[in-house]
Amino acid sequence: MIALELSGVTKRYGARTALDGVDLAIPRGSSLGLLGPNGAGKTTALKLLLGFVRPTAGEVRVGGLDPSEPASREGLGYLPERLSLPGRMTVGGFLRLHAKLARLTGSEREREVGAVLELTGIADRERDRLAGLSKGLRQRVGFAQALLGPPETLLLDEPTSGLDPIGVRDARDWIRGARERGCTVLVSSHILSEVEKTCDRVAILHEGRVVASGALHDVVAPGESLEDAFVRLVRR
Amino acid sequence: MNGPGRFGVLAAEAVQDAVRRRIVAVIAVVSLLSLLLVDSCTSCGSGSVTINGRAADLSSIAGWTGALSFVVLGLWGVVLAGVLASEHLAQTLADGSATLCLARPVGRGSFALARLVGVLAIALGTGALLLGGTASLVHARSGLALAPAASAGLACALGMVAVGSLAMLASLYLARTATVLLVFALTGVIATANAFSLAGRELAGFLGAVDRFGPPLASALALGVSDWIPQLTLRADPLEVSLRLLGWAVAGVALLWVAFRRLEISPDS
Repeated sequence: MIALELSGVTKRYGARTALDGVDLAIPRGSSLGLLGPNGAGKTTALKLLLGFVRPTAGEVRVGGLDPSEPASREGLGYLPERLSLPGRMTVGGFLRLHAKLARLTGSEREREVGAVLELTGIADRERDRLAGLSKGLRQRVGFAQALLGPPETLLLDEPTSGLDPIGVRDARDWIRGARERGCTVLVSSHILSEVEKTCDRVAILHEGRVVASGALHDVVAPGESLEDAFVRLVRR
Repeated sequence: MNGPGRFGVLAAEAVQDAVRRRIVAVIAVVSLLSLLLVDSCTSCGSGSVTINGRAADLSSIAGWTGALSFVVLGLWGVVLAGVLASEHLAQTLADGSATLCLARPVGRGSFALARLVGVLAIALGTGALLLGGTASLVHARSGLALAPAASAGLACALGMVAVGSLAMLASLYLARTATVLLVFALTGVIATANAFSLAGRELAGFLGAVDRFGPPLASALALGVSDWIPQLTLRADPLEVSLRLLGWAVAGVALLWVAFRRLEISPDS
């Protein structure tokens, strides 16, 4: 069953074409790394899946639903590239708000908030205001809200941005943990090694088009690294 | 949790977000100063004064004072709703914090209306304090009836919904300063047109159109408390004015809902 799907999707912003006839299908329970140079259309693809923007042509489906329907975002966790948090809220208050929006109630909500606070290593920061946190801690809070639920689908845009090496390793473990639970994961990233370690499939976008997609061993030629394959494909 | 449940969560957060902003403390101080001014203006409750050599009963002046205070404070409440609305939704889009909520199973329209509820909670609370305080003072000191105050208070609430929703709508396309200036300018133009019309002046052109078809913000307030001035006859149909204001309030909310659903959101802009 397909969890996330873009069929012949074109997205134009005025005269600029961000995506041009993109086809992508991500089966439920799989993990896809969306790679591409700056301006390739990775973030636009995520915006389309979240219903933030509408396609100029083609069709987008999330769990079989049009992303304009709120139900398409049931069980979805999202971490944006530029994470903006309401600075006047506390860490705990922010996570409880998102737990409520994720349909968690009563003791289930408290248990889940406690679990993601522990998992992301910010349990001792529960009462801190978000405005006072370092970039790395804010990114951990962002991960914590994305992992609430727990989610059936995770959309992560540059998930290791702002994390120190320990945080990067932790993030990798959180993504792997989600995958082991059967979660569908889409990671948009510039960091090829991270994608290599967390995803079983990749799609490479260049100038709004998919230039390669498939299992890692299908995209990467024998004796080649993912970085070599990436450079070869986007310079072609 | 169903749709209305999520709306309730968002609305409660929008109210808390409005309360957390420092502007609420400023509003509280200005409101208390306004009430002190009303207290001073209405402190003479009985007796008579001589104006241009003619004796006038203070109770008749109290009606004018009370009505004028009510209209001015009501318009201040309406402007407040517009000013608060000019950033309460747009700010969450500009700083990207809206995108995390909108990535949840939340309808776009629900999110926008919840933010409007946050604004209206502050504006209506302030209006209730100001107009309720004024009504209590003029009732206790001059014996003015409370029913006209309730009627004008309802008109003020409708005006807040209309101006708040339209200002929030404008803020999706305009910078905050431009939206705030628009709120002040349009409320001023409407109040001027309404005042001239109620005084019996025939208005033509733009001001006439504003008075006949625009949201009757000042007219509705003035008609509400006109019973406090028995010798005054205002040239307007209270039912038509009330229905037009209601229409503008409903249209403002509907336009906001539709526009926000159609808006393309860029989380990284």
